[in-house]
Amino acid sequence: MAQSLVLETASGPHAATDPITMEVIQNALVALADEMAFTVARTARSFVLKEALDYSTALFDAGGALVAQGTCLPLHLGAMPVAVEAVMREFGNDVHPGDIFATNDPYDGSTHLPDVVLVKPVFLGERLIGWSTVLAHQTDIGGRVAGGNASDSTELYQEGLRIPPTRLYDRGEASHTLFRIIERNVRVPSLVLGDIRSQVAACSIGERGLIELAKRYGIERFEAYCQALMDYAERFARAEIGKLAKGVYHFTDYLDGDGIVPGKITLQVAVEVLADRIRVDFAGTSPQVKGAINSVYAFTRSATLASVRSILPLDLPNNAGYFRAVEVTVPEGTILNPRSPAPVAARGLTGFRIADTVMGALAQIRPDLVPACGSNSPDAGVSIGGYHKDGTPFVYLEFLLASWGGGPNRDGADALTGMIINYSNTPAELLETEQPLVVERYAFVPDSGGAGRWRGGLAMDRHLRFTADEAIFQVRSDRRDIPPYGLAGGAPGASSDVTIRRADGTEERHPAKFLTSVRKGDRLRIRLAGGGGYGKVAEREPARVLEDVLDGKVSLAAADRDYGVIIRGTPPTVDAAATAARRARTAQG
Amino acid sequence: MSWRIGVDIGGTFTDLVFLADDGTAETAKVLSTPDDYSRGIVEGIAQVLKPRGVDPATVREVLHGTTVATNAILEHKGAKVGLITTEGFRDTLEIRRLRMPQLYDLNYVKPLTLVPRRWRTEVVERILHTGEVLVPLDEAGARTAIDMLIAAGVDAIAVCLINAYVDGRHERRIRELVRLRDQHLPVCLSSEILPEIKEYERTSTTVVNAYIVPVVENYLRRLTQALKELGIASPLMVMQSNGGAMGVQAASERPIHIIESGPAAGVVGGAEVARKLGLDNVLTFDMGGTTAKASMVEKGRYDRLGEMDVGAGINLAGRLLKGGGYHVRVPAIDIAEVGAGGGSIVRIDAGGALKVGPDSAGAMPGPVCYDQGGQDPTVTDCNVILGFLSPDYLVGGGLKLARGKAVDAMQSRIAGPLGMSLEAAAWGVHVVANASMARALRAVSSERGRDPRDYALLAFGGNGPVHAVTLAQSMNMRRVLVPPVSGVFSALGLLFPETEHHYVRTFKRRLEAADPAEMTAAFEQMRAEGRQALAVEGYGEADSRFEMQADLRYLKENSELTVAIDGIGDFPAKARARFDQAHEQAYGYSSADEQAEVVNLRLIARGISKVSRVPAALTVHAGGQAKGPSARHRRAYFGAEHGWHNTPVLRRAEVPRSGQAGPLIVEEYDSTTVVPPGCRVALGDWQALTIDIGR
Repeated sequence: MAQSLVLETASGPHAATDPITMEVIQNALVALADEMAFTVARTARSFVLKEALDYSTALFDAGGALVAQGTCLPLHLGAMPVAVEAVMREFGNDVHPGDIFATNDPYDGSTHLPDVVLVKPVFLGERLIGWSTVLAHQTDIGGRVAGGNASDSTELYQEGLRIPPTRLYDRGEASHTLFRIIERNVRVPSLVLGDIRSQVAACSIGERGLIELAKRYGIERFEAYCQALMDYAERFARAEIGKLAKGVYHFTDYLDGDGIVPGKITLQVAVEVLADRIRVDFAGTSPQVKGAINSVYAFTRSATLASVRSILPLDLPNNAGYFRAVEVTVPEGTILNPRSPAPVAARGLTGFRIADTVMGALAQIRPDLVPACGSNSPDAGVSIGGYHKDGTPFVYLEFLLASWGGGPNRDGADALTGMIINYSNTPAELLETEQPLVVERYAFVPDSGGAGRWRGGLAMDRHLRFTADEAIFQVRSDRRDIPPYGLAGGAPGASSDVTIRRADGTEERHPAKFLTSVRKGDRLRIRLAGGGGYGKVAEREPARVLEDVLDGKVSLAAADRDYGVIIRGTPPTVDAAATAARRARTAQG
Repeated sequence: MSWRIGVDIGGTFTDLVFLADDGTAETAKVLSTPDDYSRGIVEGIAQVLKPRGVDPATVREVLHGTTVATNAILEHKGAKVGLITTEGFRDTLEIRRLRMPQLYDLNYVKPLTLVPRRWRTEVVERILHTGEVLVPLDEAGARTAIDMLIAAGVDAIAVCLINAYVDGRHERRIRELVRLRDQHLPVCLSSEILPEIKEYERTSTTVVNAYIVPVVENYLRRLTQALKELGIASPLMVMQSNGGAMGVQAASERPIHIIESGPAAGVVGGAEVARKLGLDNVLTFDMGGTTAKASMVEKGRYDRLGEMDVGAGINLAGRLLKGGGYHVRVPAIDIAEVGAGGGSIVRIDAGGALKVGPDSAGAMPGPVCYDQGGQDPTVTDCNVILGFLSPDYLVGGGLKLARGKAVDAMQSRIAGPLGMSLEAAAWGVHVVANASMARALRAVSSERGRDPRDYALLAFGGNGPVHAVTLAQSMNMRRVLVPPVSGVFSALGLLFPETEHHYVRTFKRRLEAADPAEMTAAFEQMRAEGRQALAVEGYGEADSRFEMQADLRYLKENSELTVAIDGIGDFPAKARARFDQAHEQAYGYSSADEQAEVVNLRLIARGISKVSRVPAALTVHAGGQAKGPSARHRRAYFGAEHGWHNTPVLRRAEVPRSGQAGPLIVEEYDSTTVVPPGCRVALGDWQALTIDIGR
């Protein structure tokens, strides 16, 4: 078929690979992984897959090395290979055409129970040529709290159904037993089974595509190109790492607490840049915690790989070759490498903080690129659950995020998802048609971005008025005690806060993680944190402060207090002399 | 004899097609005049009409595809807009939906908000989703807000209040209050522009409209005037992104509909040609200088999407990862785009891989062979080296190419460093460009559950027919079609569509509970708007058609599918059956046991022309068609397997109807078709070339 496109290099038939065929195969593999992703988007049932895009697709070679990953969730970069490894370890040569394996065991192939990974071996004839895999976050996986994301479980057994690497399809035959077990253990079986079926469909798309490629180029040649692609990514990554300043870079960031035992949790990292690789060590990190925010090693590594990836060129292929250039070490028994059966359901929060911590170290390596800490990961998770008068239940669940930190040459973006996760928000109008809520405010908070030469992005308020009779309100927030950090002399962003203004007018403050009941007319006021500032505030151009004042993002008082910029008159202008004098006084201390 | 003229403006060239009642077509390609596009258009028209002694009064209609609206948005040259919102929602426009269109990118920059915060102002009022007025409009506060914006000197005001899709009374009252202060200031209400649920999407759409209203209004007024001075008084119609045409007044009031008018015209043209040739399954492929676009046409129909992100850049992943550009919720033909065109730059990256695009040499300096100072080799340079493009015959010989310079650039920058022969490297670039364009074709076929091998590839655009056959081969497709006037095909496509106006109303109800009286009232309201818009364009009741549609989804699904409605009476049952079927096709399953809900009602008002808009046969007299190609044979390289061939060069009219085997090259005024060895080309109906792919 289409032999006219087969290419030979000028260096002759002995050269195993040529750069043109390599580029064509790279395109085909990425397109195939994306086509698998589209298949999930098309056929999945749940909101979490269709809207939050909380899934990933990937293709592996016969030896279990990642050759291409779909354009999905950055936090999953590195979470897929452990599933294939687990299946290979468990089943060895006992794999056959038509088999599909499943696992959701955080300690054996997955990273928390809701993430069910399907792994399909791909054969051309009798020969294993690769693996087609799809990870998808299921809407429910049983356990004591609906949704499988609760942060207040204290052991894995509370968190739901645990599936070790298991044969879900045996030579094309579905395992009735396993499907029945899943069906009987989850709260929304039609959604979960529907989503698993969509994973099966996407695995088959990947299988078909890999077979076509192996047929077109021949198995040996195709495999040689897969190796060449990984070698290329490795070479590329090592060459880029070689350009970085060698040394060891330390950074420490914190979680406010696990919601059970009071006290902050330390995440500590040392990033060592060597001649052609990067070593990341989390020694000094807090021990594993009671609450369910422990992050298993695979997830810690995945969040780290995604973070390091962001300081390398965008066109670096996401395959195992890149992984070879980065080594991640985490002491066992810490919150970043817990022992079974430590609970892990809400490890997402810790993943965001791993990224913040690693980025703090990377900022010292690439001060030209890495911004101060943002509030751009969903640090606040809010749920409201109860029953309408007629007995029908309602469940509202929302993950909220705000803004970026200031960067080395620009202000932090106001209202934008972080690069570690690609989340969206829920339109107020949709929310009001579906939940007993009226959204009273969704807006920026002036003066909340960390001051600096480059201002941190603004915090945001979300105010909800509850309109049904009664419900349980649960909040899992962070960045209250330890706000997002500034860099290069920039101030941290404003802290988060949650208050309840009861229908009778009384105000209540609560800790960052809490649960309470609410009644009709109560107003829930969630304030997210602001992004950290970058650089010394004295270096901020007064004209930029004036622009922020005109836009009401910085108040007149804060312009004076935080930036030392005096603005007067109508229309407002910068009083240059007064500003210079004010800044001189500040500089003298 | 009377004439109709299609005018398509691109960055470099303005393409014109003149179509007479008897199917005679003339084409022209003139340089665009970006300072005032209407000048280039009028010059181009005069250039064809005058020497032929055609009386401008015999021009029956001018149809226009324009980038004026898009450019105003991309270059931030729109109006100074003030925005009035509900208290608590001043920042909706800037918060957007939070999402980023690019992974791992620390340098990502959010698009500049079209209305800065200082000109976004709140009023106290609140309507609930049920339509109940919870807080009446604070008129004194509204007056203060309006005064502030007028004092700031805004050119237009957009009003978008929460839940105004249910009831626009407060928005209308605000417009009355503006009118008390200023009779002429354009005011766009979200309840009229897009009465559809989701506040960000509605606000953004309304703001973009207000942002381009003054620009588009002004441009269309100038163009109408310039045509009049030339003696053409017939109506000027503008192409919409949805595949229909609309008059100047409608386009001036709702310019958000004309944003993607050029690309849409190509697909409409492709659909008509496919219909004429009796082909059910076609993928259209439009390759120009900087991008390649693909779309799917089945049984003469194309898919529409309900939204677009203007200026989101060319990013296939963007089909999964939304968030870039300026969101506009209007129906638009589903077109996938990749950054591969004739001007795409070839380079070797840090890891030693050969990359093509997405950077483009653009019109200036253009490919190295244009000899305008370009240093980076491009896809076009490689196609010249391979012998596919004649150095002497681009734009009918109007553009001479410096092949030697292309050879030097490819040799020193690409072939040498890779240790390859010149032709192998050039062929490699051709193949890598194809690999990138294949992704656009997959995006509209296999990602929609269609097998591209079941489709014919219909290629046009300046470079489409150069790459079409090798591209089709790489995807195992079996047939390629090259329509007449393929290099200016979008301008021809402009002549085909009927006049259309699209309306939408959010109507959120359980399907079985949809009240017929309420539905009838909603449709009647839209029908009245459509009737009025068509009347302005000269269509009476007898020439008007109204098509009813509904957007449905299973309860709690987050995306809808649009189904046709024949009548209100049996609506729930029929709509349900159609929806289940559409769901099966789009998503691979349907569920009889789930409840369905209606989200929106839609109406398309269509003005039907008295005579067919597509001629039965076509006779082309293209600008340089009469002149023969410069040489009758040329050496061309078809990859290692086939090597160099002394390849015949034909005019389209010389291609036998019985077919001729490749290799051969069909060279015309505005495009070149490459037929490799093993393939066979024949001239068919409607002067289309059909290429059957061997093996």
